[in-house]
Amino acid sequence: MKQKIAVQVDDLTVAYNYKPVLWDIDLEIPEGVLMAIVGPNGAGKSTLIKSILGILKPIAGSISVYGKPYEKQRSLVAYVPQKGSVDWDFPTTALDVVMMGTYGSLGWIKRPGQKEKKAALEALEKVGMLPFKNRQISQLSGGQQQRIFLARALVQDASIYFMDEPFQGVDASTEIAIINILKALRKAGKTVIVVHHDLQTVPEYFDWVTFLNVKKIATGPVKDIFNDDNLTKTYGINYKVSIQE
Amino acid sequence: MSNAQIEIQLIASLVAIACAIPGTFLVLRKMAMISDAISHSILPGIVIGFFITQDLNSPLLILLAALTGIITVVLVEYIQKTGLVKEDTAIGLVFPILFSIGVILIAKNANDVHLDVDAVLLGELAFAPFDRLMISGVDVGPKSLWIIGSILVITIGLLIAFFKELKVSTFDAGLAASLGFSPAILHYGLMTVSSVTTVGAFDAVGAILVVALMIAPAATAYLLTTNLKRMLVYSVCFGIFSAISGYWLAHWLDASIAGSITTMLGLLFLTVYLFAPNKGIIAVLYREKQQRTEVLLITFLLHLKNHNDERERHVNHLNEHINWQKVRSKTILDLALKNNMISIGNKIVSLTEKGDEFTTQAIDYIITNEDAQIEHMKDDFFLFRG
Repeated sequence: MKQKIAVQVDDLTVAYNYKPVLWDIDLEIPEGVLMAIVGPNGAGKSTLIKSILGILKPIAGSISVYGKPYEKQRSLVAYVPQKGSVDWDFPTTALDVVMMGTYGSLGWIKRPGQKEKKAALEALEKVGMLPFKNRQISQLSGGQQQRIFLARALVQDASIYFMDEPFQGVDASTEIAIINILKALRKAGKTVIVVHHDLQTVPEYFDWVTFLNVKKIATGPVKDIFNDDNLTKTYGINYKVSIQE
Repeated sequence: MSNAQIEIQLIASLVAIACAIPGTFLVLRKMAMISDAISHSILPGIVIGFFITQDLNSPLLILLAALTGIITVVLVEYIQKTGLVKEDTAIGLVFPILFSIGVILIAKNANDVHLDVDAVLLGELAFAPFDRLMISGVDVGPKSLWIIGSILVITIGLLIAFFKELKVSTFDAGLAASLGFSPAILHYGLMTVSSVTTVGAFDAVGAILVVALMIAPAATAYLLTTNLKRMLVYSVCFGIFSAISGYWLAHWLDASIAGSITTMLGLLFLTVYLFAPNKGIIAVLYREKQQRTEVLLITFLLHLKNHNDERERHVNHLNEHINWQKVRSKTILDLALKNNMISIGNKIVSLTEKGDEFTTQAIDYIITNEDAQIEHMKDDFFLFRG
């Protein structure tokens, strides 16, 4: 059975100041997978996501989302940046941050109204953050801030979700809550792509994996390619993990 | 009040509002210093514009000078992007060079140009009412009033239209980009507004005061609110307050108006910095002291809750066991008694029902960080006010 391709990346090369951080990446992400992108620090994991989302301009290559350029498919895609990429002292509340997820569908100038507020409240409910809706965002714990970011992506009601290290600096209960939401998204037929650091949890959380270290090492189902060979190729040291079936 | 006095206060207030709006976003974007750079580096733009138009109030001159402001920002970003120096260094490299080009241009043409560096840096609000705008022979008011008024109307229009875009790109540029709100367009839009405002205002209040009016009201407002809209409103109010009170301070001291307004901005910030209800220094110190007491109280109550043995709950034993000084023990004991949290019988301390319930809730809150647990306790205790 041939699955539909959600995201296709061809010959992608991205550079900072002409120093390539991603070399000639070819990648097909099938629809409906829950995929981890793994690789050492500086492997270009975040860069890959940012390039797909048009935040960084590649020096070569092309990207398509369901067969069209990203710019035409924004409404199908939601993005959760790294938690550390924003200033949490910004004067705003949890609800307001989640509302920002609705701005994309509103477009320029138009303001959010009751409909957007209702959607934001529902998303807060889903991540268990409704009691915190009026909290100033600096008054939330790290895990709660991550949940707010997740709610902001949920409110976009997208088909593809990109998440940059959603488990960074969160406690165990938040991690479980987040992974349950990601699994529910996959069950609903969504495609979820996660930059991930904890190799131990890859087989448990994900069904698809991409190994990345400046070049693409491998991509495919976790059960077929998550092995010592690929880990060694990616991390450059003899890597041994025991994979439990 | 004479007409001129009213006009000066009106111009100062409009300048203050026009500066406070872009200033709020500059402060939130941690770009306060870029306004300093812009305010200085527009000088060559003004001089060249003046050579071309021979009119300090020409719209063309304002646009040319604003363009120099944008060039400053582009240059700063270009130097910063090389990765060789940091942003503040790049700012420090760019604007003195542009400013000095302006200074040399003025010096070389001092005889023909009706412009001097002092006036650019410090402005002279007191003279603003003398330069009138005449439309078919009718006096419609001071020219600066019309210039800054027009800039303000445009600024407010842009703010209302693009508030949501400015907010999201300031808070999270990555998200804004992925949603299709180009952070670059918004960034340069904001830089353009800041530059135009600076040029429009410099003639009246000078380059130094423009920086103060952009940054100080926003920084003051930031201490008072956690809501962006309110921060904008507060900034505008602080700007107007400083403009008018500064004018009267200057009147009373017979001193520079621009200098007096800046002094008022400084005093206002200092006052708020000291007395702001949440982020002010005094509030913070007071809260820390209260929290210390409350944490001790909870520690003490928890100890009682965890130990049923009477020996563990004897007053003397408590002193030794929790390892507090006598004075502190007594304070906490008194506080707990006063709030009916404990009862003391025969020198044995026991938790009352109220104290027991309080301890459970407090611990629940500390573990879960959920507001619902302590909604009704909030008014009584600082600890739970986040």
